Amino acid sequence: MNTENHKVDYVKKEIPSKIKKIGFVLTVIGLLFIILAYISNPVRSGFNNIILLMFLSSIGVGSLFLVALEYLAGSVWSTPFRRISEFMSATLIILPIVALPAYFYLHDLFHWTHVESLDELLQAKAGYLNIEFFSIRTIAFFAIWIVFFLFLIRNSFKQDKTFEQNLTKRNIKISAVFMPFFIFTVTFFSIDWIMSLEPHWFSTIFGVYYFSGTVLAALAILTLIVVPLNEKGYLVKGLVKDHYYSLGALMFAFTNFWAYIAFSQYLLIWYANLPEETFWFLQRWEGGWIYLSIGLILVRFLIPYIGLLSQPSKMNPKRLIKMSAWILFAHFFDLFWLIMPTYGKGEFVFGWIELGFPVFAAGVLIIIFTYFAGRFNLVPSGDPKLKRAIDFRL
Amino acid sequence: MLDDKILFGYTGLFNSPNEIIRAAEKVSDAGYKKYDVNTPYPLHGMNSAMKLPPSKLGYAALIFGLSGMLAALAIMYWVAVIDYPLIIGGKPFFAFPAFVPVIFEVTVLSASIATVLTMISIFFKFPNISHPLHDTDYMKAVSSDKYGICIQADDAIFNETEVKNLLEKLNAHEIKPIYYDDNEIKHKNTVFEPRFLILLLFVALITAGATYFAMNKLLYAVPFNWMETQEKLNVQESSVFFSDGFGMRNPVDGTVSRGNLPYQFNGNPEAASTYLKNPLFPDDKNISIGKAKYDTYCSPCHGYFGEGNSRMRGQFPNPPTLHSEKVRNWKDGSIYHVIVDGQNIMSSYASQLTYQERWAVVLYIRVLQRSLNAMESDLE
Amino acid sequence: MSTIDFTRELPVIEGRPSLREIDDIIAKPLESKPDIKYYIALSITLTMLLIGAVALGFSFYYGTGLWGNNNPVGWGFPIVNFVFWVGIGHAGTLISAILFLLRQRWRNGIARFAEGMTIFAVITAGIFPLIHVGRPWLPLYLIPHPNQHSIWVNFTSPLLWDVFAVSTYFTVSFIFWYVGLIPDLATLRDRTKNRIKKIIYSVTSLGWRHSNRHWQHYEMVYLILAGFATPLVLSVHTIVSFDFAVSIMPGWHTTIFPPYFVAGAVFSGFAMVQNVLIFIRKIFNYEHIITIDTLERMNKIILLTGSLVGYAYAMEFFIAWYSGVQAEQFAFLNRAFGPYAWAYWIMVTCNVVFPQLFWLRRIRRYIPVMFVIAVFVNVGMWFERFVITVTSLSRDYLPASWAYYSPTLTDGAILLGSFGLFFTCLLLFTKTLPVVSIAEVKAVVEGSQPSHGDH
Repeated sequence: MNTENHKVDYVKKEIPSKIKKIGFVLTVIGLLFIILAYISNPVRSGFNNIILLMFLSSIGVGSLFLVALEYLAGSVWSTPFRRISEFMSATLIILPIVALPAYFYLHDLFHWTHVESLDELLQAKAGYLNIEFFSIRTIAFFAIWIVFFLFLIRNSFKQDKTFEQNLTKRNIKISAVFMPFFIFTVTFFSIDWIMSLEPHWFSTIFGVYYFSGTVLAALAILTLIVVPLNEKGYLVKGLVKDHYYSLGALMFAFTNFWAYIAFSQYLLIWYANLPEETFWFLQRWEGGWIYLSIGLILVRFLIPYIGLLSQPSKMNPKRLIKMSAWILFAHFFDLFWLIMPTYGKGEFVFGWIELGFPVFAAGVLIIIFTYFAGRFNLVPSGDPKLKRAIDFRL
Repeated sequence: MLDDKILFGYTGLFNSPNEIIRAAEKVSDAGYKKYDVNTPYPLHGMNSAMKLPPSKLGYAALIFGLSGMLAALAIMYWVAVIDYPLIIGGKPFFAFPAFVPVIFEVTVLSASIATVLTMISIFFKFPNISHPLHDTDYMKAVSSDKYGICIQADDAIFNETEVKNLLEKLNAHEIKPIYYDDNEIKHKNTVFEPRFLILLLFVALITAGATYFAMNKLLYAVPFNWMETQEKLNVQESSVFFSDGFGMRNPVDGTVSRGNLPYQFNGNPEAASTYLKNPLFPDDKNISIGKAKYDTYCSPCHGYFGEGNSRMRGQFPNPPTLHSEKVRNWKDGSIYHVIVDGQNIMSSYASQLTYQERWAVVLYIRVLQRSLNAMESDLE
Repeated sequence: MSTIDFTRELPVIEGRPSLREIDDIIAKPLESKPDIKYYIALSITLTMLLIGAVALGFSFYYGTGLWGNNNPVGWGFPIVNFVFWVGIGHAGTLISAILFLLRQRWRNGIARFAEGMTIFAVITAGIFPLIHVGRPWLPLYLIPHPNQHSIWVNFTSPLLWDVFAVSTYFTVSFIFWYVGLIPDLATLRDRTKNRIKKIIYSVTSLGWRHSNRHWQHYEMVYLILAGFATPLVLSVHTIVSFDFAVSIMPGWHTTIFPPYFVAGAVFSGFAMVQNVLIFIRKIFNYEHIITIDTLERMNKIILLTGSLVGYAYAMEFFIAWYSGVQAEQFAFLNRAFGPYAWAYWIMVTCNVVFPQLFWLRRIRRYIPVMFVIAVFVNVGMWFERFVITVTSLSRDYLPASWAYYSPTLTDGAILLGSFGLFFTCLLLFTKTLPVVSIAEVKAVVEGSQPSHGDH
């Protein structure tokens, strides 16, 4: 086992400080808007806050999932990109702070927090939907994610210096333990924070639906960061279109997977036509929401589908940047469609209050990236698979 | 022996993938266009070494896939909305979400079949499977463990010695010419040749005939009698099972059919006059029903206007007019009673008129009576 | 094997055989006469097939009254078996298409065989809906065509979607299989010395010359077919799940059914492929082509899909409680603790508990144990379909119509016959066509691809 032959020349280049500044400016602007929004309409802002929370959770836990998946599947092409996913999974650390404002307005956001005596259904669910258990669950989810994040990332960073193969082996084991936790935490997190906004509605596939969006968001932010970095030479030499292809293909695959899950959920509820299920879709079929519902098919499925269908487009850096940015927007769009109709009650809502939250999200993500990029290598330079990864061809 | 054979090209064999890639690059750089590389499995990087343009088969898949998709949608629309509209499960005729699965399947089916057929008919020149390289030692080598290159004699810059030198320079083994007999080899794509088309026609006829025989003859052979012969008695058939010899049975005495109570006032006009009330509202609809039924069943004797001017030309006695003071003062129930029970020589019309229709006729008779005896108040 | 070197790729084919050795070893079963063991195996499967055929003959003559199907449980064994066999068919396309798209090169050794199993499993599955309708001689009316009755099929019915899905799946799998066979048939054509075989191979290989100008289009077609087969394989079991889930039957109408059925199908399919491959690699000496690493990877996929199925069981139970719908809650309690509790717990132990043993690397690589676990998985997955179909139907909304379903001897004989048909087809396949793809295996032998940097 001669590791010396498998070392890769990597010279770290600093990210321009301009980007850091943009991140700070966006965060401050976003934060100001959010504070103004909370002053003018706290409940509506609370709903927007949930969208923000779910969006950042998607990026954080989704990135962590991609890291774990690489270890478990033993995939090689993705090794040079893994570090970026590791950086972005640090979003998990700020999730408790993002959740806090919404937590203060729990009574206005979640109908089940004040159960009317006549609502037998909600009384029956009180064993699960009560504030104490809800809080414990949310804290537990955050804690589990952050613990796994720290364990996985620490080993990976350590490997940059020690080149120990054992660290890869240890991370494979941690990833294996993480997977069952991941599946159940993401499922119940989405049930708690999105599905229970309409506490009468239920759908067994809901966790899978949120999972598909989560993976898409994590892949999109990875692509959005990796492709410009590699084009400008911040990563190691030798990464070619074959590496991009896999990113494009995965985004394409999960776009289809999302469409499959969303269609399955819609078809089964539409076909069976039971009032206890259809009202959720009817709510999104009234007022201005109908345009959003139809738009969702276009935004989330058709545009990325057509954009990434052909083989050359999955390797084209410009197309990949555009499509990954679009997919991130589409994830926000999807979350808006999932969450806001509960606030709107048949009336379409969109205004300046909604604007501050995505701006803040963009700023925070840039700050997280630049913070870690300033301190650590942009590629896992000590990973034993890195040399093989650079030689990867389709 | 070799004189009547034509030179196809020169072949050379290599032992390793790296050598053949280099050879392909060199041959391509030398300006040859009609050459081919034969390898037992696809080699990565060979397409760029040979400078081949990317395969355009993706377009075939796209075009046929989209055609299949639109065809499926169109057919389902025509069937479910235009030709055979049925409401099923409370869904609209054009139930798009429920059409999606079939649209998807047809898209995949048509695209897959069409792409493969395009490949084998255009690129493999199916059904032409003859080629000079077949059955040569060269072919036997490249189909197992060697990597071969073949420069064809019909290339514009082909020159026997130069090609030999080039192959030798590339360190090829077993550099050999390949000859062929023009009578044995076809070069053209034979997919539109009459012989092949006739074969296809023949296959189509056999398939159609077999389908016709199976669906129209075989399925009506002995075990599948489609319930055409059943062990039961049809109406009007005789039977030895019952003592009266009829296959059909009369209902048991006193049987009442659903929704029809028997008339209670037979032979009792007073009670009918007292207890029966017309349940119908005298609106256009009921009166027009009454007119239709009156004109059909009553007017032959009573006349179109109830004046007793029979059209029976004396074959049946003329009834009295319906406009008499007596009939005008009758309660509705009495008229109804006469319709059901008959009077004097008038027989019962209960079997011709339903419950509703009888009362409608009563309404119409009232209209006729009023029309000849209008009151001043009617003008107001 | 205690340490893995991550800097080096695990070889897909062990021992660096020469390309000609690969030809020899793969073509050997086709060029040698079958031995006595083969005939013994064939006689066993043919006996099973005969038993099934006799039971079917009786069913046609006397009618479906010979089966256990009763009034609330109208679906019974035929539909259970249909779903089971369609599920078995899923592994083949998954291995040949999805793993191909994911560039998992270890699939090359097992893809051909798994595709063959797909085709035979779908053939076996196709029998059951036809016999279940009671008049198996009228299948033409399932296909929309202008007919003398001027009637059309109901395009909004999931049972019709099934017709389209299963027939499309069969056709595309068959095309995929055949396209994969073309280069191998050409190799066999150039090897054989038998005149009749030579004619057959010449015609079926369509004049293939291993030309790179053909390989280019061939690879594109293979990619396109894989791209179509991937959503297709998902759609087939999704549509099978729609048969259940679009209804309002408690326990059937739940939105997770599509991905849950697909995961279950892949789960049982992989178990069946693993079971058969263990024999194939032993009998034909393919140990270095179908390596223990390949089996370990298959076991990992069995573990993954088994856990996904377990996730679906958990979500069904949770949402049944969470929904507050009494009928739904009853349906699930009835499954676990009602008259069919025995079937339910067989299903849970076989599908969720036993595969968890695959977390241990030693068990993933120990053939006798992995074989037994995979057999249990198939038993469990058969019982899953039984539990879903029978428990919900036997206790529906109307307690007055509740009835216990018990299969008859005829049902069992038909099930046995379906296994007979499947394994007879497999045995004939091993002696007529190369069960491992020659060209694809050659492409993943070490040193078979040009090294980068030279061009």
